This record gives sequence, structure tokens and C-alpha cells, in this order.
Amino acid sequence: MVALARKTLVYEWRRYLPASLAVAFSGMLLLVQLALVFGIFDSAAVYINASRGQIWAGYPGTQSIDLGRSIPRDAEVHLLMNPQVAQVEPFQWVNGDWRGSRALGSVSVFVSGIDPAATGLVFARAIPPALRARLNEPGAIIVDRADLPKLGIAVGQSGILNGQRVYLVGTTGGLRALGGVNIVTSLATAERLNAGGDLRPAYYVARLRDPARAEAVAAQLDPHGRLRRYAVWTAPTLAARTVHYWLFETGAGLGVVFMSLVVFLVGTVITSQTLMGAVAGSISEYATLNALGASHRALSRVVMEQAGWVGVAGLAGGGILSALVLALAHSQDVPVGITLPGIAACATLVMGITMLSGMLAVRTLRNADPARLLR
Amino acid sequence: MSESIAIRARDIGKGFTVGKVTTRVIEGLHVDVLAGELTLLSGPSGCGKSTLLAILSGLERPDAGSVMALGEPVWALDRRALQRFRLHHIGFVFQGFNLFPALDAVEQVELPLSYLDLGAAETRRRAEAALDEVGLAHRRHMRPAELSGGEKQRVAIARALAKRPQLLFADEPTSALDSISGQTVIDILHRAARAHGTMVLCASHDPRLIAHADRVLRMEDGRVLTDEHHPHPPIGLDVSR
Repeated sequence: MVALARKTLVYEWRRYLPASLAVAFSGMLLLVQLALVFGIFDSAAVYINASRGQIWAGYPGTQSIDLGRSIPRDAEVHLLMNPQVAQVEPFQWVNGDWRGSRALGSVSVFVSGIDPAATGLVFARAIPPALRARLNEPGAIIVDRADLPKLGIAVGQSGILNGQRVYLVGTTGGLRALGGVNIVTSLATAERLNAGGDLRPAYYVARLRDPARAEAVAAQLDPHGRLRRYAVWTAPTLAARTVHYWLFETGAGLGVVFMSLVVFLVGTVITSQTLMGAVAGSISEYATLNALGASHRALSRVVMEQAGWVGVAGLAGGGILSALVLALAHSQDVPVGITLPGIAACATLVMGITMLSGMLAVRTLRNADPARLLR
Repeated sequence: MSESIAIRARDIGKGFTVGKVTTRVIEGLHVDVLAGELTLLSGPSGCGKSTLLAILSGLERPDAGSVMALGEPVWALDRRALQRFRLHHIGFVFQGFNLFPALDAVEQVELPLSYLDLGAAETRRRAEAALDEVGLAHRRHMRPAELSGGEKQRVAIARALAKRPQLLFADEPTSALDSISGQTVIDILHRAARAHGTMVLCASHDPRLIAHADRVLRMEDGRVLTDEHHPHPPIGLDVSR
């Protein structure tokens, strides 16, 4: 079998390049968009994902971690009574008002009060033990290095948080959150910053002896019934609730779907136009083949195969482009989240673009009427 | 030379409608075309010779009349059967060579053969033989861009001949060629008729061809005006192949 589709693609690559580029950029746009949205909304759950511990207890019905309210202190005792629970730690959540340098005015911040012990669970993945220990100093705070310009201070300098003077003892990465600056302090400092507020913590985090049993233990620990004053989730469940809340309650999820549709449409228009042009440019040759007995179906297969190869080339190009853009984003501390299902979904959409374009180009083959060659 | 009738056409009528005006291109035409002969349809532009070629070759449905080709009622076949009939029995050579720019000469010839499911080895063997027959064996790995007009037309003829069709239709095969290339092309077509017993029907207004045809049908206004047989001496090329 003569590889007409592939040989033509290689020989006339300039003709097909726009289609492959359209596919590549469509794929890149889809993937980068998805990665950015997941990155941004994953950061809404940074408190959970950057912490160790498999169980979270919080106010019943909490839809997103930043919407937590104080829960009774006896939740801690209740959690510790379960033989599976090895460690329980409170997590304090305080809304704050930051004044750093005069030029920047005030900034709305989220204050996370955590246990500064080396074995502490909250933010254990983001803050190394040595830095964590420095939170024992009264008024010590840690922030993400990317937030420094917003706060207007450097390590060693101080600012005013909820009317109290605090000191920046260090910075780290992976603390960036949606909607505001995260400031990490000790539980004691957080309590001082929350003077006049509810001093009870918003969450208790528990570490289990056997992490694999998190689902079952969470179900045991949850005080079922209408009168419960707190609820218990596994960490992934609370993280998923949070991301889901931000994605769909804010309308961002619909935005992603809408943008994907636009990218799909634009990609299909450009790709199909290029393929149609290529078919139209070879219409006499196709008509001759048809006169010699090649069926329209056989000719359609050639066009679809070309669309397929254009798609494969576009996927490869889009993969490289995406990798470059995401690497750049990562180096600039822009939150990006890539998952295998996300990549698979984008690849499927991209191949959808090329197959749909191929089908549109096949319609151009209707003009391959050999009788026209005799007029 | 065989006297068997390859195509028998009766009462052929064809008109084209442009806007509200219908033009009769062919009216009540009868013709028999014989196997083993090079038959030339000649006449001025617009006399209907290309339309007749399209009707006899199963490309354009006539408004009236019947065409029997190799005993098959061509216009009674459904689309798929007609396509299969063309695949197995009919070769075409067009004025524009219509070669795929990306393929070399052998691949151009192999391409239509590949739809016959002959197997790779037999396909290659037939393609090489057909190129040899048109004298282009040494050019078999060249792409159209590297071939002259005459060579391109010879590749197109090899593509049509490789299928070993009983019916070969050629539309103005020499009008884009210089005289030497045109002579070569007509010799090849003539040889195909003699050597393989193929019916070769060639539509052309190129007067150079008249001397080389076994039979000349002069058309005007959709009718055959004259039908002349030229008793030809054997052509001067090797036909022993």
C-alpha cells in the first residue's frame, strides 16, 4: 500500500504546518488553562495538602476550608479516644489586617495558627522543622516568598497585624493561597492576634497509626446526627470539597468549560480550513484516483489519516509547548496543577479537534468528480 | 487485430442546463468502438467529444440511450458496481497529468493498483513493468517536479496501463506536449492497443494524431460526421513485449 497520506504530509509539510500549529496551540491552551485553574484552586486547599495527618475535624457542613468556624474543644478529646488516632493538633484560623510599609496600605490576610513543635502536622510539608521552631518566638511569622512584595517587608523586618507588631522570621514556598496572603504563626501568637474573638480552634487535625484506614476511621469519628457540633472528614475529602466549592460556586468551572469550547471551536476552524485547502489543492489527483476505481471511502481514509497525523504532530508540539509554559510558570511560583486525567482530557479534546476537522475536510472530497476532469 | 466490439452505445443523448438554457451536447448518437484499435474522436472544441468520452467510460450519466461495455450495461449498474467496473476494466489518461507531487513514478503507478489487492510484490512488479513499457524504468524514483511534461504523461499512461484494463480512455493526452513527446505518447497508446488488445479511445483536436489512429471519428454538434478506418502498417516500435 502506498503511504499517500504520510508521504504527502512529509513532502508538502508547509501546507499542513498551520493545521499542526493550530492543534499544538489549542492543546497548549487547553492544558495550560486547566493546569492554571487546578493550580489556583488547589491552592485553596493548600492548608490541607501541605499538612500531614489524614483526618480533619471542623464545623459541620463546611464547604471550603477558608469558611471554617470555631468548634468545641472536646472534639480533641473525642478524636484522641479512638485507638487509631496517634496525634491530634489544633489549627487556628484568624482573619487579619496587615499593615507593612505605609505605601502599600492595608492588606487582607489569613492567619494560620499552628503547633510549632518539630512533630507538628499542619504545614509540615511546606515548613521545614528548623524554620517551624522559630515560630516559638512571640510574634514570629512565616510567609510564602512570593507574597513578600504584597506585604512590603523582608525577612527580619516587622509589620503590624491586627494591631500587634509581628516579625518575619523566614519565608518558604508552597503557601500561596487563593484570595489573600497566608501568614503562618504559632497557636499562641494566633490567639494574641485574635484578641476578643473566639479562641477555640476552627479545626483539629489527626494523624492515624495506619493512614490506609483513614476512610473507615473518619466514618467512625464523625458524630452523626443533626445535633453534632463538628464533623470529621478525611484530608482528601475536605480538599476536594474546597476545590469543588471554588471551581463551581465561583463560576470558574463554567469559565473553564466555556474557554475550552472557544479553544475547541477556534482550533477546529483553523485546522479544518487548512485540511480543506490541502484537499482542494489535490482535488484533480483525487478525482483521477476515483476515475481509476478508488472509492470515495478509500479517499476519505487518506484525508482522515492525514488529519490523524496532523493531530499526532500537533499533540507532540502542544506537549512541548505546554511543558515549556508550565516550567516557566513553575519557576515563577505560579501555581499549576497537572493531573493525568487532565492531560488525557486535553489530548482527547485535541484529537477531537483534528478528527472533526478531518471529517469537515472529507466533505471537500465531494468535489472530486472525475467527470469534471473531462470538461 | 481483433474485430470484437468493446463498447456499443445506442441513442446517446446528453444536455447541460445553465440557468434556464438547456444545450443539447449529444443527440441520438450510435457508436461501436473495437478492441485492439486506437480510435480517435476528433472535432472542434465543444463538439461533444469529451462528453461522449465521459459517458462511454462511466463517468457521466447520459440523459438517454444505453452503453454496453464488455457486455455490461454500464448505466444500469449502481454506483458501487460501476466503481468496481472502472477499477477492474478501465484506465484513464487526462490532459492534466494529475500526479501526486509527493510520490515518485513507481508509487504513482502502484497507487491505483493497491486497490486491486494484488499483494505488495505483484503490485511492485506490475508497476515496474508498466514504467518499463513507457520507457521510464530509469526514472522510476523521480517525483513529478523532476520530470518533463512528456515524462509525466508517460507516468500517467503507465498508471492507467498497469491495471491491464481492457478499455483505455484518453482525453487530449498530447495537447500539453511538444511534438516529440506527443509522438512518443501516441506511439505508446497505439502499442497498448496492438500488444494487449486494449480498446483505446482518445478524444483530441490535435491534428498530429490523425495519422496514427486506426480509426477516426469526426464529431461536430454532438454527432459523428465521418467514420474513417486507416489501414496502418505495424508501428515502428518493438511490440514483442
